[in-house]
Amino acid sequence: MRALGGRHARSLAAGIVVILIFLAGSILVHGFGSFGSIRSLLLLGAFLGIASVGQTMVVLLGGIDLSIPFLMDFGNVVAAEMTGSGHPFWQVILVILVLAGLVGGLSGFISARLRIHPLIITLGMGYAVQGAVLLWTKGFPSGAAPQGLPGFVSVSAHIGPFPIPPIILLWALVAIAIEFLLQRTVFGRRVYALGSSPEAARLALVPYVSTWVWVFAVSAMFAAVAGVLLLGFTGSAFGDVGSPYLFQTVATVVVGGTMLTGGEGGYIGTIVGTLLVTELTMIMTSMGVSSAIEEVFLGAVVVLLVMLYGREAHVRERI
Amino acid sequence: MTPGALSQGRAWLSRHGYVGLAALLLVLLAIASLIFTPGQFGWDAIWVTLGTAAPTLLAAVAVTPSILSGRGGIDLSIGPLMGVLNVLLVQYLIGTAGLSSPFVVVAAALVLGAIGGLINGILVGVVRLQPVVATLGTYLMFSGLAIWLLPSPNGTVPIWLTDLSSGGVLIPLIVVAAGWAALKWTPYYEHLMAIGGDERAAFTSGVPVVTVRILAYVLGGVLAGVAALALSAVLGSADPTVGPGFTLTAITATALGGTSLAGGRGGLTGALVGALDIFLLQNLLTHFNVSTFALQIFYGVILVLAVMSNAARLKVPWLRRGGTA
Repeated sequence: MRALGGRHARSLAAGIVVILIFLAGSILVHGFGSFGSIRSLLLLGAFLGIASVGQTMVVLLGGIDLSIPFLMDFGNVVAAEMTGSGHPFWQVILVILVLAGLVGGLSGFISARLRIHPLIITLGMGYAVQGAVLLWTKGFPSGAAPQGLPGFVSVSAHIGPFPIPPIILLWALVAIAIEFLLQRTVFGRRVYALGSSPEAARLALVPYVSTWVWVFAVSAMFAAVAGVLLLGFTGSAFGDVGSPYLFQTVATVVVGGTMLTGGEGGYIGTIVGTLLVTELTMIMTSMGVSSAIEEVFLGAVVVLLVMLYGREAHVRERI
Repeated sequence: MTPGALSQGRAWLSRHGYVGLAALLLVLLAIASLIFTPGQFGWDAIWVTLGTAAPTLLAAVAVTPSILSGRGGIDLSIGPLMGVLNVLLVQYLIGTAGLSSPFVVVAAALVLGAIGGLINGILVGVVRLQPVVATLGTYLMFSGLAIWLLPSPNGTVPIWLTDLSSGGVLIPLIVVAAGWAALKWTPYYEHLMAIGGDERAAFTSGVPVVTVRILAYVLGGVLAGVAALALSAVLGSADPTVGPGFTLTAITATALGGTSLAGGRGGLTGALVGALDIFLLQNLLTHFNVSTFALQIFYGVILVLAVMSNAARLKVPWLRRGGTA
């Protein structure tokens, strides 16, 4: 319990806030506590949660990945175009994962090898990827969603007899895999070690560059997959599908208690953060709040929550 | 050239060396622009060109103090702050209240900008949120507020403000440059660079770290106020949607100009050179009828290459200092 309270204290605090907001939503919005509504929450959360996997790992490493929305656009558009020209789904996903992995890996390599802040590198790579996608499609992406994908992500989809969309199961599996990777493998230990003290990690012979390359590659791949999944949800390609996710992925990570300075936090926090951001948006939308006010509110919530449990130490305590 | 002038030149170079490749790029872009788009750089046209570039230039300068202050310092809210100020000034102050005197509008822009910066400064300095989180929060709040106040573009601006997008553009640019030069004479500038370079060393030397950091964000806010005036001049109306886009351009320009995202290194010259690079590059590529898509690729690749070429100078200090930075 102590370990839980210590390591997950911030995630736990965010979890309590998720429950409080959920209760408030049940009172304010008729039917918000219903099964159907919880299912929608998990479904919408799955897209954001999967897109935030990479941001979590990158932030644990002490970086930030601004290329996520651009890689989501990339996955979304490439999947539609390739399906439209008759490629089977396995080819589509293979091409997307390999290309995204290469782009992400390159961002990680440049940032780590030259010790440049990844914020600028990922932004530049993101612009380049977006430009390439637009150039390729001449700005008008076409094509179709792969067969079976809409059924995988729609609200009315079910797994066998259970009325749960398969994407929710996918999110759960991804969550288990990522938590296992981060907490129970050598690779995960290296991510935390590099994030909390790059210098100490270097002396402990933690491979610096290769860990960064892999983390950024994984981040890009999950972003691209989230873009493909969104294609199933919307049905047709949209070259700007990722743009709301630029700051939302950062918001889910920090609201979930992962520190931007690296080395502290984990994917469980991000799940909590994802649920919080998603349920807040759902409640406000169903109350008829305009999207402008929603944005103001989301900004205020990010600041207030991090104020509660994510404050940094005063400089006098860090000498 | 006398030996004295030569050593002065060397000293200037060593102080501004961080601008590096961005300055070289600027020279090349300027020559190319003069050859291929002479029409935009004639005696009359150059003021309009400069007026169009002014919001980008000033936004890059506005984001610089927060980055210089270190400890992950960055003000993501600069763009939305410019946007919400544009709406407040043009729609409400000039439109609804009918106060269109330059003194009132300029004073309001600076004061409101300072308030926006103060909010960020308090969140970062006193509440001690990580700057990305704090200014991400205010980013969302300012951009939401702008759209809530004014869902679609509206309003007109007085003549004196429109003039700022042509010949008058020199006024805000010179005032900002002179202000920055004056700032360098004050102890504040040394303090800012000191906390950005090594906060703990600065603190133990008696630098009022918290105050200096708050003021860095306030200064950024005031500069965003100036940038909002230039933006209103170019737009000629209140438009709630254009502001947020300036954040990424400003950060890109600053990084391109060699300002270290780790803090403590960089300045006005870097921001201006970086922003001019971006502006001229876009301008030139548009002239060659390069599609905006290819332009986007160029933009990304040049950004990455420029930052890579500065790498030795941009080495992130936390790798040398340990994990607490």
